[in-house]
Parts: sequence; C-alpha cells; structure tokens
Amino acid sequence: MTGPLVQAHGLGRNFPMRQGLLGRPRDVWAVRDVDLTVARGETLGVVGESGCGKSTLGRMMMGLDAPTTGSVEFDGRDLADVKGGERRRLARRMQMVFQDPFGSLDPRRSVGAQIADGLRIHNIVPSDKIAEEVLRLTEQVGLSPESVRRRPHEFSGGQRQRVAIARALATRPDFIVADEPVSALDVSIQAQVVNLLMDLRQDLDLAMLFISHDLHVVRHLCNRIVVMYLGRIVEEGPAAKVFGTPAHPYTRALLESTPSLEPRHAALGDRVLPGELPSPMNPPSGCPFRTRCPIAEPACAQAVPPLTPQEDGWRAACIKAGPVKIAEPA
Amino acid sequence: MNRAQRKLILPTAIAAIIAALVLLAPFLPLADVRLMDIPGRFSAPSSEHWLGQDEFGRDVLSRLIWGGRASLFIAIGSALAAAVIGTTLGLLGGFFRGFVEVITVRFSEVILCLPPLLLALLVVTILGAGTWPLILALTLLYTPNYARVVYAATLQVRSLDFVTAQTAMGAHPVQILARTVLPNILPPLLVQMSLVVASAMVIESGLSFLGLGVVPPTPSWGLMIRAARGAMEQQWLLLVWPSLALAGTILTFNLLCDRLQSALDPRGVTGGGALWLRRGRNAPAPTPVAKVAAEADALLRVEDMSIRLHAETGMIELVRGVSFTVMPGETRAIVGESGSGKTLTGLALTGLLPDVLSISGGRALFNTRDGTQVDLSKLDEDAFRTLRGREVSMVFQDAAAALNPVLRIGEQLGEAIRAHNDIDDAALNKRVVALLRQVGLPDPESRVRSYPHELSGGQRQRAMIAVAVANEPRLLIADEPTTALDPTIQAQILTLFQTLKDETEGMGLIFVTHDLAVVAEIADQVTVMYAGEVVEEGPVDQVFARPRHPYTAALIASVPEGGADRLVAIPGTVPTPHNMPPGCRFAPRCDHAIAACSAAMPDIERPAPDRRTRCIRWEEVT
Amino acid sequence: MLRYIAYRSVVALFLVWVVVTAVFLLLHLIPGDPAELLLSQGSIAADPAAVAALREKMGLNAPIWQQYIDHLGGVLTGDLGVSFRDGAPVVEQIAKRLPRTLEVIVTAALIATGIGVPLGTYAAIHANGRADGAISFFASAALSTPVFVVGTVVILIFAQKLKIMPAGGFIPFSEDPVGHIRLLLLPAGTVALSLLAVITRMSRASVLEVLQRDYVRTARAKGLPRKRILRRHVVRNAMIPVLTILGLEMGTLIGGTVLVEFVFNWPGLSGYLVAAVDARDYPEVVGIVMTISILFVFLNLLVDVINAALDPRISLVRR
Repeated sequence: MTGPLVQAHGLGRNFPMRQGLLGRPRDVWAVRDVDLTVARGETLGVVGESGCGKSTLGRMMMGLDAPTTGSVEFDGRDLADVKGGERRRLARRMQMVFQDPFGSLDPRRSVGAQIADGLRIHNIVPSDKIAEEVLRLTEQVGLSPESVRRRPHEFSGGQRQRVAIARALATRPDFIVADEPVSALDVSIQAQVVNLLMDLRQDLDLAMLFISHDLHVVRHLCNRIVVMYLGRIVEEGPAAKVFGTPAHPYTRALLESTPSLEPRHAALGDRVLPGELPSPMNPPSGCPFRTRCPIAEPACAQAVPPLTPQEDGWRAACIKAGPVKIAEPA
Repeated sequence: MNRAQRKLILPTAIAAIIAALVLLAPFLPLADVRLMDIPGRFSAPSSEHWLGQDEFGRDVLSRLIWGGRASLFIAIGSALAAAVIGTTLGLLGGFFRGFVEVITVRFSEVILCLPPLLLALLVVTILGAGTWPLILALTLLYTPNYARVVYAATLQVRSLDFVTAQTAMGAHPVQILARTVLPNILPPLLVQMSLVVASAMVIESGLSFLGLGVVPPTPSWGLMIRAARGAMEQQWLLLVWPSLALAGTILTFNLLCDRLQSALDPRGVTGGGALWLRRGRNAPAPTPVAKVAAEADALLRVEDMSIRLHAETGMIELVRGVSFTVMPGETRAIVGESGSGKTLTGLALTGLLPDVLSISGGRALFNTRDGTQVDLSKLDEDAFRTLRGREVSMVFQDAAAALNPVLRIGEQLGEAIRAHNDIDDAALNKRVVALLRQVGLPDPESRVRSYPHELSGGQRQRAMIAVAVANEPRLLIADEPTTALDPTIQAQILTLFQTLKDETEGMGLIFVTHDLAVVAEIADQVTVMYAGEVVEEGPVDQVFARPRHPYTAALIASVPEGGADRLVAIPGTVPTPHNMPPGCRFAPRCDHAIAACSAAMPDIERPAPDRRTRCIRWEEVT
Repeated sequence: MLRYIAYRSVVALFLVWVVVTAVFLLLHLIPGDPAELLLSQGSIAADPAAVAALREKMGLNAPIWQQYIDHLGGVLTGDLGVSFRDGAPVVEQIAKRLPRTLEVIVTAALIATGIGVPLGTYAAIHANGRADGAISFFASAALSTPVFVVGTVVILIFAQKLKIMPAGGFIPFSEDPVGHIRLLLLPAGTVALSLLAVITRMSRASVLEVLQRDYVRTARAKGLPRKRILRRHVVRNAMIPVLTILGLEMGTLIGGTVLVEFVFNWPGLSGYLVAAVDARDYPEVVGIVMTISILFVFLNLLVDVINAALDPRISLVRR
C-alpha cells in the first residue's frame, strides 16, 4: 500500500428542510465532519444503519454530490476545482456499483453496449478492439460471451450485478465506490459476488469504498472499517481491531445485535440496544449516541467527542472508549 | 407479440384508415364540397349521395371526409407543435433543474390555471376565428401538458441508478439526454400524444360548433353538427353522420392511447379484480368445515401441500408436496431463498394467496381452540374469516405497506379486536392501549391517534405485531418480519417475538425468513425450502451443526461469518418455475450430483427420528 | 389541518393573481394592436378613427404598467368595465348568471360521482368479466363523445322524437320549482356524462390498484367482514386519486358548461360567454374568463381540502 488515493477533509452535507409555509429552513446534516482517506489497493468498509449517511458519503466521495463543507481530493486534486471536460476525464478513474441490480442498468440497451460506453467515452481501446475488450470484461466477471447481446431483463439479480461491475471496470478505474452491492441478493448469490469483488481487488489493485449494513460481509471483505452513526464517524480502524475488540459502545451494540449462526449464550434480550435513531433534524447535544448508550454519563452531553487514537490507525469518538472483547465465537 | 400488443392492432388500423381517407381526399372521386343542389336539399341517402344531401343539397359524404381533413389537420398539427415545444421545455427543465426548471415548469402551471376551452375562446376573441388562430390556441393550450409529462418523466428517469452511472462514467450531459433519458421517456410521451390529438379534436369541434372555430364554407364536423341542429326537424340523419364520425375518431384515438399505455408499460396492468370480494363466488366448491375429533397434539399438521399458478399458458406448480408440523408453543422457521415458495406456504395457511394461485393438493390440519380440527386447504373465504385473527394471524414483511396509511393506528388495531369480539368503546380503547404497551410502543395513549407515517419503521412493525396478536391467536405466522429493519431494531423485534411467545401459552409461531442467522436466534425447528420443495427439516441446533442436505450445507457455508478466506458460493441460479430440472431440483447446482440425482425426484429420507432430508446421497456427502 | 387549509388558501389567492396577470399578458403579448385586431373583420382593415377611439376607451394609450395596475385595481374593486354592446357594467351580468352556471356544475358533479364511483368499484371487483367489459366500453364511448354532440342528440331523442322533455330554456326556481328542475336535468346530465366516464374509469383503476395493496391483505388477515374491508380500506383509499383527477377535470367540466348552456339555451355565465366572444365584446369576455378561472381555482382548492381530509399524509408532503 502506498500513499492515499482519495482524501476527504471535514466533509459535511446539509439537506436543509423547510417546515411549514413561513418556517425557516432547518439544517439536516446527513454527513458531518468526516475525515477519511482511502489508500491505493485498500478496501475500506463503511457500516452503519439506514439514515447514518453512508450512501451520501459514498456519493460525495465519487463527486456525484457536492459537499456543503469540506472537500474531497482525488489523487491530490480537489474535485470541486475540476470542471467540464477535465472533470469527465477524471471520472474515468472512479466508478460506482449500485445496490439495486434492477435499476442500475438501462432496460432498453444490450449489456454489451452499456459496458462499451465507458470504453468509447474515454477511448480506452481503439474502436475496432471494443468488441474484443467487452468480451474480455464479461469473461472477467464470470459471464458467458453470448450475454453481451442480451438485455438486462434476461438476467438474474446476481448476473446483473456482475454486468454492473464489468461496466465499472471498463474504464480501468483506480477507485470504486460500491454502495450496498450485495444487499439485494440471495445469500448463495451474495457469496458469488463477494468472491468476485475479492478476486478483482487482488488482480487489479483497486481501491474500494464498500458501503454496507451487513457486518459479516464487510468484515469478510474489508481491510479497514469506518462505523458511522447519525452522519458522523464513531469508530475507524483495522477490521480485526474494530470488529474484534470494538472501542466504541455503538460498534459493540451493532455487533451484538447482529444475529449469528452460532447464537451467543446470553439471551437475545440482554444484548438489545434500546430506542431508535434520533431524528437528524434534531440531533442530541454532545455525543450523538448518548441517548441510547448503555454507558452514557452527563459529560457525554457536553461536546461532540473527537476521534481519539486508540492504537496506530485506530480511532474512536467516545470519552470512555476502550477495547472490549465481544462475547462471540470465531 | 403479446396480448397487449395484439390489442393495439385494431385502433391502429382504424386510425390508419381514417388518416388514409383524409389524406387521399383530393384524389378520391368525391363530389365538390361546395356544389349546392337546392332542390335536392335534405334528401335521404341514395346511390348517388351515399349519406344524403345537406341543407344546401351538398353531398354529405364528401363534406364528411373533407371536414375530417380540416379537423385532423388542426388537431394533429397543434399536437405536434405542442409536442416539440413542450418536450424540449420539459426535458431541459427536468434534466438541468435550477433556472431552466423555473422558467419551463412555472410557465406551464400558469397556463394550466385557466380552463382549456376558455383559454381557446380568449385567443379566438382577440385573433378572430379561423384555422390558424385555432392551431395557435391549441398549441398554447397543450404545450404545458407535454412539458409537465416530460418533466416528471425526466425527473424520474434522471434519478435512476443507470443515469447516475452514466454521469459517474463521465458521459457528456447531451449524450446522456439523447441516449439514455429520451428513449426512456418515449412511452409516456407517445401516450400523451394520442391523448392530446383526441382532446384537441374535442375543443376544435366544440369551437366550430359554437361558430367560433373553422370558418364556413370550409367543411368541418363541428360546423356540420351546428347546421344539422337547426335542421333537426327536416332531416335528423344529418346530425347522425358527423356525430358518429367525430365520436368514432375520438374513440379511436382514446383506445389507441389506452392500449399504447398497457403495451408500453406492462407493470401498469393490475390484477384481475378480487375473487374474495365477489358475492357468492368463493372457493369452487365450498366444503363444510371438517369436524374431526382432535387427534394428536400437533397444532398444525401440513401434509403434502402443493400450490399452483393458473397462468395463461397453463398450470405451473410453484410449491410441491410441502409437509411439516407445528406443536403448541413451538417456533418453526421456514427458510429459503427467493423463489423457494416459503412466503406462499405461509399465505396459503391463512387463505391469503393471490387470486391466480390456489392450493392444488394435500392437507393442512389445524386444531382450533374449541378442539375441532379443520383442513385449512379446503376452507372458503367466509370460513377463513372466522379463523383469521382469532386462531391464525399473520405479520407481514413491510409494515409500512401492510398498515393502511390513512387510518389511525388505534382504529386499525381496534377493528381487528372488534371483528371477533362484542366490546364497547371504552373497553376497546383500554384494550388497544394495553396491546400497544405490550408490544413496547412508547407512549401508547397518544400513539393510538397516530397515523402509520408518523411512526418509525420499528414502531410500525410493533403496531403490526399488536394487530396480529390482538385476539391471542393460536398460530402466528410471521413473514420476514425483520428483513427491512436495521440490526439494532431487528434485535428489538426478535426479542419482542420471544417475549410474546413466553407470555402467550401454547401459541405456535411460523417464522418465514431468508436469514439463517435469524433462524439460529429464534427457532426451535427449521424447514429448509428450495425451488418450491422442502429439502431438509429438523431441530435447529442439529440441522446447523450437521446439515444432511448439500443445499443446506452450502447455504450455511455461504454466510460470510467465521474466518474462511473464501466463501462457498453455490454456482448458478435458482431454477424458474417454468424450467424445473427433472429429479432433484438442486442437482444442477450441487457439487455432489450424480446421474441418479436427475433421474427421479428423491424420496424423503430420515437420517434421525426427528430429521428429514430429500437427498439420495445424504449418507455419503454430509 | 387548519394550517394546511390556510396554506392552500394563500396558494389559491396567489393563483388568482396569476390568472388575472395571465389574462392581461395574453392580451398584450399577442402580436398586433388589440384594438385593431378587435375591429378588423377578416381581411377588411379597420377604420383608423374607430381604432383610435377604441384605444382611448380601452386605456391602451397609457404606459403598460399603468394599464396593469388599472387592470388589477379593477379586479380588486369588482369593476370589470362596461360592455361594448349595451354599456352596462360587466359585473352585473356576472352576478346574475354565475349562480345558474354553478347550479349546473354542482348537479353534474353530484350525478357523476354518485353513479361513477359505485360503477367503477363494481367493474374493478369483477375485472375482466362481462360486466366490466360493458362498463369499460360505455365509459370509453361516453368519454369520446363531445358534450355538444351528446346534448344535441339528447334533444333529438327526448324532445324531438319522444317529446317527453323540453328542448331547453330556463324557468326561475322561485316561479316553478318543478319546471326549473326539469329544465336543469338535461344540461346537468349532459355535462355529467363525460365526467361520469372519467370517474368510472378512475375508480376502476384506483380500486384495482388498492386491491393489490398489502394493507387490504392485512385487513383480510384480521378477519374483518367483507363490507368493512370494502368500505373502510378499499373504497376510502381508492377515492384519493379519484378526487385528484376530479380536480384536474374541473377545467373540462367548466368548458363543458360553455357548450351545454349554449345547446340547451340555459342562461348561465358560460353560455353568455359565447355571445360575448361572437360579438367580440372584449370587456365582457375578459370579465367572464377571469370569473370562471377564479371559480376554477377555488373549486380546486375545495378538492384539495377534501383530499387532505381523506389522506393525512397530504398536509405534510405536498410542498
């Protein structure tokens, strides 16, 4: 692993919402104060529950959504400063894979044509070699050569996701944002796609931002993990550390409430986190998690706890942070 | 060519004939439209004048065809002009948003504030009657329609992932508009087009009828009706011809629009009504409730149940030979991937299968509270109604959709209680609040008056569960009740199920899910389904510790839990109901398949007294 | 809810302003001099002296903003000018005739919803059956026949051939209530027919869609009686989009009254518009068009409010 490829500084995204006719717009921060780096060849997992801002973060890292505060730097260049044709050329190096395998492909065009789009736009190969390159890509993602002429509706969910991956790979990107790419798939198919992503990462030396709510998948696939809660990063670090001995109480709660094939012996009820996600329109003062936190104390309401280093490359935003072994086998 | 496309042929053909007639009018051997024949006025149809002669003795057929030419010219001309302008405005507004959006869409809304005919009258007042003022007025009138339709469609298409993917790929915006957005908004545009032609004809003919449209002596259908109205007493047929021509042409375009819509958007075709709502039309042969002395101790015994789809192309068996039992107080999980038939099995037990599906074989014997036994597979709608909610209840996957969005939570819960109990308002209200408290809804007294959209996802699922357990059913069927929920909320709901079961003695629970980990957390017994069949069954801890079917084994190994470097992926995909492999349905994807597997459907084997598997090689391979 | 009504009322007032402005702009944006256009007949050029006089009368010589302010002020004070034809204030005619037009509209809307909703619901429940086919065909045919054709044919059949109804006319309610209602029925029924078709089709489509919804399945799962499911869960929810369509169709309905009042000789406001347009009596036309458009805006407001009462989500979601 070399230096950082993508860097986010103080990233925030506000979706102001107007209440009533004359009400003043209220700030609704989907993402707030996020600092993040993705190194070349690294797979960074972003986990959190719905509404934690992980998809918005992914779109901003791709440059599809403009941040309200902060900036995203790709290979040393601020995405906000690059415009027009140059911005489109930069797009070659960053690609996206979406969650819904039914919505992410144009139903009216053959998958071959859609994979070829990227090749044409960025002149990846000479035009007489395009057909050949499309075949190579479909083979790479494990689809048969005759699939290129077919339309998306002739494929199953898992196959479409393969097509979407082939389309993303066509421009030979350095960085891929995968937003819940396996969530809509059945378990057995999910395993196929996860394996494919692992192979590609090794073969192509891709940097990947892998967004998912499935802790098992993230743990399996990623080197480093970011845990988000209410738009903020609460814990960040190497996968083994974050999921093995989580330092933040939210990470612990998340791990404990995730059902497992080998149920822990403690009754389910003891591990349940009370309450629900607070409204982002009206977040709690201080630590966003304190309203549901089992170890919260008055000091938590004072200020947003900063991400403080635990060990090398491992940070947690909790004034009582400390590694705790999770009562879980394996 | 499918049915929807075949139905397009008729209106298209008629439209083509009408178009040919009016286009070829100058070349047809028609009488001069202005040639008067005063002695022959009001004469009935004859061999010379097929449709008779009008008040000036002019040939009606000839005037009818030429009149259609004028009407259609105005209608189609303005529809086209409005389409071009409106589409451009809508496309630009929808794709670029911001300033362009304000100009195009707000402009449209201003025009739409005025009733259409009045706007046309206003223009005619200023410019005077005639063909061109009419075209101008109609174009002005319909441009906003197109702009709105195209704008909405563009917004919708624009937010789709595949358009975002084009942007992410670095495609030029113009390229995206032309290649991706435009083809995808064509269907609503085409529909709008035929709608506008019909509507423009109505307004044109109306204005001509009022004497404010096409100016005589140019023939027009509206004018012909106007003239015939005055001569109703002399020759009423004169009124009939143009009326038929006008209504027929408009009907053709309306039909074209309707059928285009269903041909272009197959999803828009909704199901075939509701058999269960029709009076006296329930099950084909309403069988009386089978009153058999309660044998055994099982709450529910499903034996060899099959479910069939009645499709246009014939019968397709979606679920085949499912058997399992639920003991009182037991939790049985039915687990499987999509297409395994697990949800259908659950629905069949409450008689809630969609109308196109039905139970085609087997039995489902259920012991009711009062000790009688009923066969759930033979009940009609009325018999089911007395059981539902009281004896057998159901919790659905998507609580947001399963609760009526426009009724208060209290009412939705209260009506469930009232369906089976005679209870006064005060007692009902107390019971509702108590139930909401029982399922852990915070602040139940005020939640009674909430609407579903005012609750969070987890709270809605709690309310849904309250509805299901309102009458303390003997059997609760939960269909993927936690799938749409986040992990921390899912854990809360699973705990709630556990608590409810502990509190309600003897309640059996069927938990339908695709998530093996959830099964491990909550169930006592598990039934694994694949492609409409049960492949394995047994106590959860035993099945998970040592699966005796290759599918179960592979499914467990494909869960990314534990330290394995590579996940076990089952190759291929689940077969579709139309293409079921012969013999063992899992054989084509099975690592251990041999020729014998595809020869015949494997029998149920019993590796242990309380376990079953549908694999001929279970001893060797598991 | 009250806040929502207040909000929609403000929007409606804004729309009224938009309508008044749009009518003004339309007059001034159409190329050519309005006075000259009004006085010209086809290719015959207008007399310059008459044009100058008309310009003076219409206030066209003032700067455009002055004209706009006069126009707005006129609307606010209820002064819509005097008729070219008889010099009487336009407002008087409007005040006399508007109630009669409203009468036709309200009766038609009642007839159309009263029959259309049950008919559409029945067709949906028995979808793809014979009754459904017949209802759908009737609706398509009714929708495709312009009101003036229906009106004329109705006169031909009921007045000319069967001689059981009068061909048209008007008797004030105070003079002869029965006669008044007899005369009202044909025009109202004629206007109702196409609206009935729209409502039947919409009800059918909407009920069909609601029948597929999960919450109807939930209602069945509760063991509710059929009637309650139908009334409380199916029809109630299905009415929401039908009502929205009713609002959108209001424009067509109002347009229909123009033709129907003309056909049946009903002395309402809409029919009077035809005479005004025919005579190119500009102040009358503008006054009537504005009045009816404002009526249109308020009818839509009414529909919106009923809709919000039916659907609690609306008061939150819509803007």
